[in-house]
Amino acid sequence: MADKSKIVLPAFVPLKSVQVDALVVLKICKHASSAHPQVITGQLLGMASPISSSRLFNSDGILGMDVDGELQVTNSFPFPSTDPSTSSNDLDNNSASTAASAPRSKASAWYQTEMVRCLREMNVDANSVGWYQSANLGNFLSTNFVDNQYFYQNALNERTIALVHDTARSAQGALSLRAFRLAPQFMAAQKEGKFTSESLAKHNLTYKDILIELPVSIRNSHLLTTFLHQLDTPPTPDPLNPFSQPSSTPLFPNFDSLDLSIDPFLEKNCDLLLDSIETHYTELNNSQYYHRQLAREQTKIAAWLTKRKQENALRAAAKQPLLPENEWNRLFKPPVEPSRLETLLNSRQIEQYAKQVDGFTASVTAKMFAVNGGLSKTQEQL
Amino acid sequence: MADKDSYIHLARPLPVVSVPPAQATTSPLSVVISAQALFSILDHSLRRNTDQERVIGTLLGVRSEDGAEVEIRNCFAVGHNESQEQVEVDMDYHKTMLGLHLKANPKEVLIGWYATSPELNTFSALIQNFYASNGDGTFPHPAVHLTMSTVPGQDIAIRTYISSAVGVHPDRLADSCLFVPIPYEIKYADAERSGLELISSAKNNENRSTEVTTDIHALEKALEEVLEMLDRVSEYVAGVVAGNTQASVAIGKFLMNTLSLAPKVSPADVERMFNTHIQDVLLVAYLANTIRTQIDLSNRLASANFGTTAPTPAAAATNTTAASATTASGGK
Repeated sequence: MADKSKIVLPAFVPLKSVQVDALVVLKICKHASSAHPQVITGQLLGMASPISSSRLFNSDGILGMDVDGELQVTNSFPFPSTDPSTSSNDLDNNSASTAASAPRSKASAWYQTEMVRCLREMNVDANSVGWYQSANLGNFLSTNFVDNQYFYQNALNERTIALVHDTARSAQGALSLRAFRLAPQFMAAQKEGKFTSESLAKHNLTYKDILIELPVSIRNSHLLTTFLHQLDTPPTPDPLNPFSQPSSTPLFPNFDSLDLSIDPFLEKNCDLLLDSIETHYTELNNSQYYHRQLAREQTKIAAWLTKRKQENALRAAAKQPLLPENEWNRLFKPPVEPSRLETLLNSRQIEQYAKQVDGFTASVTAKMFAVNGGLSKTQEQL
Repeated sequence: MADKDSYIHLARPLPVVSVPPAQATTSPLSVVISAQALFSILDHSLRRNTDQERVIGTLLGVRSEDGAEVEIRNCFAVGHNESQEQVEVDMDYHKTMLGLHLKANPKEVLIGWYATSPELNTFSALIQNFYASNGDGTFPHPAVHLTMSTVPGQDIAIRTYISSAVGVHPDRLADSCLFVPIPYEIKYADAERSGLELISSAKNNENRSTEVTTDIHALEKALEEVLEMLDRVSEYVAGVVAGNTQASVAIGKFLMNTLSLAPKVSPADVERMFNTHIQDVLLVAYLANTIRTQIDLSNRLASANFGTTAPTPAAAATNTTAASATTASGGK
């Protein structure tokens, strides 16, 4: 599959948007909330769209693309959660990390092929188009996330996405489902496997272009549309009991977004932000340490070089053979520059938190002004 | 719901094989269906082979401790072939899929099966008896059978049944059973609500799709909806006052209750709370933006002068920001 998809690589229209089936949205919501606040991951399956230009396809039509670079996600399944016995012992750390790396692990590769084989028998579009992960207030950026997506984009299929469902933010009212891909610059840097200042400069990579976000839209099937219309018809009130409340609430809207609880969200966000700053600071210290170390080594080398030069000058005067001047390569070991990957990811994460706070305050101030205006008016009337 | 039939459901039929008395309850069974399972069934129905009248699959979910309540949470499709005289269900497939699903959702158990046609026939009984059987099936709990009609252009009717054996003749035991209708309820989990909201907001769109909105859009929509509802209520009240509309006691009492929920706070208090909160919010927003700028600066500095000097100014700046952010959240 890997070499097949390579054939297609030159002829590609970049992915522009992602279309997700309603079923997938619900599946991810359910899976994420069942394990909340633990991180969960799963596989996304997509569809070979009938209306696609043939040049996008390889021989067996493995890629499911639309003409205009739209990726359709039509099914999904969760990766098996970690063994509950181990996760109960050492609580979050271990199990969380294994769950987060699940998309790459051997065990889930087996699970994945089995599941895909079974689903294909049932006419499901069994083409891997990416994977999904749950997040809590947008804290999904980690080396694990990047490694997973790199694995998908590099080894499996270029045109894969990572869907991130934010459980905590979805509880605030609006569903938070975002699709990401790794930027080509980042892919190139990751391929080399090092993130030194030099390689960053070479690939022109800043923290802002690690990920590319794609717009997500949700699509319903005709049958589902019928069903939704049916669900939403107001229930007929029970004639015998005039006080009975309608048992089911209409689906839309749910008014969660009118909720006025500000503090928990802001507090949590501040905590996360502070954690990230802490990490940033540690990384900065590391890099400062490296720079000091480097400077020290460089002075040492310079001292050694001048000494060797003087020696050579003496030797030249005494007509003795000269000593080689590039021996310092062997004698001194300049320190290795720490990877800048962590700093990059962390910066991106901080940016994300900051944007999140921005978005939240925008809606919350509106609500607060509304409440302030409204409540005092009612008081005047009373 | 569309299905408003009333049920007389006095006792749950006992399984035909004798069971330990502790497990043999005759209490009524109630079924809760989560939206995800229904969506899956609809999806499966769309993907059936053209020659198939109906498709079937396995229902998974959780069962309450006494077995009186069943929640259908998940399902998967199972292939089957139906002809005039025989039915063939891919049992190996069912077992493999069940194993795979249980691996990912260890809490769920086998509940029963679904079919996408409202018809109940001999084959239904045969399959039902398999799902309810001892060993691979749900025994000693009854297997739930869910039918969902998926005829285009018509209402989607959902029915749930459990079965009891009808003894005509011992030879015919395997392919005969009595389907007893049981009540069901469709439930939306809290976590699914925001997702469902978005999904159902697409139902009136021509292309059956919608964009994932931002928080502020969701707020706008919700506010519009509230305003519309208020208009409707005031129109109704005005109608009643003017004597044009017939008054309803239930609505009147409900409105009364709702109005009494308005909190009694003095405007001064509101003003004070408002001011403190808005200050908090704005401060946090301001700090978050400052931090963002600092991070940007720090990154730029780090990549601008690589190798020579350490990015000290940025480090110091970020440090002070961190300190001020700490005081801010501490002060809250």
